[in-house]
Amino acid sequence: MTVKVPLRYRIPWKKIVLYVLAIGFALYLVLPFYWIVAMSFMHEVDAISVPPHWIPSSPTLENYLGFVNPSESQALVGGRANEETPYSLRNSLIVATCTAVLNLALATFAAYSFSRLKFKGSQVLLVLYLITRMVPGIAIIIPFYLLMRSFGLLDTYLALILSYTTFALPITIWILKDFFRSVPRELEEAARVDRCGWFRTMWSVFLPVAAPGLVAAGVFAFMTAWNEFMFALFLTSTKAAKTIPVVAANFATDFNTQFTVMAAAGVLAVVPPLLLALIFQRKLVQGMAAGSVKG
Amino acid sequence: MSVIEARRPWSDTAKAYALNAPAMIVIALLVAYPIVYSFWVSLQRNNLKRPRAKRFIGLENYRSLLTDDAFLSALRVSALFVLVVLGFTVVLALILALVLNERFRGRGLLLSLALLPWAMPGVVNGLMWRTIFDAKTGALNGLLSQLGLIDTYHAWLTSGTGAFFFTAMAQVWNTLPFSVIILLAGLSTIPSELYDAAKVDRAGAFQRFGQVALPWLLHPLLIVLILETMNAFRAFDTIYVLTGGGPGDATTTIALLDVQTVLTFTDFGLGSAYAWVITAITLLISIGYIGLLYRKGNFEV
Repeated sequence: MTVKVPLRYRIPWKKIVLYVLAIGFALYLVLPFYWIVAMSFMHEVDAISVPPHWIPSSPTLENYLGFVNPSESQALVGGRANEETPYSLRNSLIVATCTAVLNLALATFAAYSFSRLKFKGSQVLLVLYLITRMVPGIAIIIPFYLLMRSFGLLDTYLALILSYTTFALPITIWILKDFFRSVPRELEEAARVDRCGWFRTMWSVFLPVAAPGLVAAGVFAFMTAWNEFMFALFLTSTKAAKTIPVVAANFATDFNTQFTVMAAAGVLAVVPPLLLALIFQRKLVQGMAAGSVKG
Repeated sequence: MSVIEARRPWSDTAKAYALNAPAMIVIALLVAYPIVYSFWVSLQRNNLKRPRAKRFIGLENYRSLLTDDAFLSALRVSALFVLVVLGFTVVLALILALVLNERFRGRGLLLSLALLPWAMPGVVNGLMWRTIFDAKTGALNGLLSQLGLIDTYHAWLTSGTGAFFFTAMAQVWNTLPFSVIILLAGLSTIPSELYDAAKVDRAGAFQRFGQVALPWLLHPLLIVLILETMNAFRAFDTIYVLTGGGPGDATTTIALLDVQTVLTFTDFGLGSAYAWVITAITLLISIGYIGLLYRKGNFEV
């Protein structure tokens, strides 16, 4: 038998456990990232000291400035990766943006059909899209490489944009289909009564209302393209098209690299997707859940 | 009504397929065709460095897999990697999702933090953990020795077992958020009356979890299991940067072996055979996934 303790004397175990877990997880999630951020602002001497400096003792922007204007020692040690970093950021930005736009253009039509029309084979088609999403990238990378090679598209933006579109398209369609369903049908019907054509209705009535969904799906596609590594590794070879993950990986596989410079490159690579994730947090969480739990 | 019908020459089905045509064409050209083409390449001796030796050899590449030590080892590593990553991910994700499902101060902040690993590119994840696990200057060594848990710095990644385990841990950190979000979405569908009823019945926290939450969570849990299995099975970025497959072949998963075969040895025939094995296994898993979605009637279109 448990002794009845008056309510106000009870130790709030549940609260304690909850906060301990919450703080533990917060540290687990943030400390690794904090470490490379801190390191990216350190001088090399501080970064490799034992015991480690957890806070940069004399913060410096040297590692970041080195990408644009390498000092002599950096140019010597960091080598090509150092010099390629700014180009790769530009490449990543262009490739990811184009991927997002192309995806939205293609997926909007498809998603609209699933949200508004009853048609034969719609289930099969949706499953087909889903299966494409399951296909491992490695399964298509070899033919993709050979194809791009024969078209002379190796080391170009187009090769990357096309491959990332195939990754992102199925999930974009799935996300948009859910968002479109939440747009009230009455809007389009009203427009139709006003004798607007279908395209006009889409463009000036439907899409503006569905804009939040479009943005979320676009952000998904952008992040997929920005983060992708394996295809970029195969398809690019120079600073003309190398994306930031490829250059960041070059830092890691080069034994001469300073950890501080590598950390700075890593931070640069993570800032855009991280900002997008934070800004569009709610929509992205909805989209992730919609893309999987609801099928 | 009939007037409007008459002004619509296209049936819904025709219209729908017209709308889907662009996406379908892109997918046919960029996914379906390459997959079939890849099977064709897998039936060839096809090495870029020896273009003259290129010829059709039937299932020879596949037959060679049975005695291919590198392949068998990679398959073993991959299977083990999936098990370890999955185990840790599911347990951690479940706890974190349950925490996030409660109401407390700082919940929003924790949810934002949980998205951080998700936004991180696998490559950056790899190099981040490299600086942490580093033998001479790593943060893990620094932290553990300052806490008095170790006397001397350890080289975490030099033993096969160590490298494998820490690579798996790096992967877990990266994939955790996805599982958390799915489980959290599952938890949020549980009607609060059920919890209230359990409270009235004086059910303890564990009982409440077992009898109220768990049945509702089974479906999202299965989805997490399947999707994370697929993710772990094809994991590449983090491992490539963190260990490059080493030491020896301790962390050479099947995906890594495939990329090495193709990029380093330019053996496209054998590489394609590897890729097809990966595809076949992934397809089996995804059939399970889709079957599951259908069974639960969650697949309304």
